[in-house]
Amino acid sequence: MRIQLVAATALVSLTAASVAFAGLPKTKALAIMHERHEGMEKIGDTNKLLRREIISSSPFMPAIQSGAATIAGLSVRANGWFPKGTGPELGKTGAKPEIWQKPQDFTAKLRSFQAAAQAFNAAARSGDMNAIKARYADLGGACKACHDSYRSEMHH
Amino acid sequence: MRLVHWLLAGLITFSWWSVKNHHTDWHIWSGIAILTLLIFRLLWGFVGSSTARWTSFVRGPRAVIGYLRGRWRGIGHTPLAALSVVAMFLAVAVQVGLGLISEDEDGLYTGPLAGLVGIDTSDAARDIHEQWFYVILGLVVLHLAAILFYRLRGQGLTWPMITGRARAAPGTTAMRPGKWWVALICLAVALAISRWVVAGAPPFSPS
Repeated sequence: MRIQLVAATALVSLTAASVAFAGLPKTKALAIMHERHEGMEKIGDTNKLLRREIISSSPFMPAIQSGAATIAGLSVRANGWFPKGTGPELGKTGAKPEIWQKPQDFTAKLRSFQAAAQAFNAAARSGDMNAIKARYADLGGACKACHDSYRSEMHH
Repeated sequence: MRLVHWLLAGLITFSWWSVKNHHTDWHIWSGIAILTLLIFRLLWGFVGSSTARWTSFVRGPRAVIGYLRGRWRGIGHTPLAALSVVAMFLAVAVQVGLGLISEDEDGLYTGPLAGLVGIDTSDAARDIHEQWFYVILGLVVLHLAAILFYRLRGQGLTWPMITGRARAAPGTTAMRPGKWWVALICLAVALAISRWVVAGAPPFSPS
């Protein structure tokens, strides 16, 4: 009886472990989380630079254009940043579990961020300051919309 | 002045609640409202009612010691309480100042004067702003403890702070109330300065 129980327990834990590993190896998952963190931080830092240029009375256009290109590029990379198994259950992250509970809504918000980033990049290349300001506001709105639901505070 | 006190208490609570619940935009506006109150209180401390004037209640260390030895007769803030008033006023002013130049981690929410300083300064200001809250919290706890202490000694302070009426020792001169139109001018000035800050403080706004 006891042996059976032990065997059953072992089987269950083995199955659980294999299911966990079937998704994503831990080192790979951690690497993705790291890349995601660095990428998001880069987007945030670039955004801070951009804001200062955009509110300036004499904005430096090349800085705006390079910042817009950086964010547009990273927004595409973000497609690979949220595989299952890279949530807070694995390690420290600002990504909320809701990302994987409401994948459709999350993906829609990710798409709208990517669209806003591309539109802002196009405006930056045109050099039209009014368009830049408008698309920059849209981009900020897209960031906020997603962060409000799916980003938690993370101090590091 | 009592109204300022209760508004301040309410707005500080609201600021804390709104930022904990990710209503950063409300948090920023609450901070601007606190800025307006502080400016009003500062001005009222020069031209307001007799008990509100800084010169009428802020006293040196000798008066504080004298008060602790029981040698103080008067109305309004005691010399010891004056220290508390000044400390809380300065602590909240520092907090508002830090908030005005802060930006959040993502650069999505910025204080109206964040553009006047560099990114590193803004980020550092945010970190200090977060920690400085505990300084304010500490002063508030001390403030509440003092009220409780006086209550236990038989002197209720909360009711007078709501109604404005307190029993004074015989022979004390009654307070001289401020003029309503002076209060209105102070409020107008406070609102104008706040409005100017919200606009990024031209002409110092980034060029």
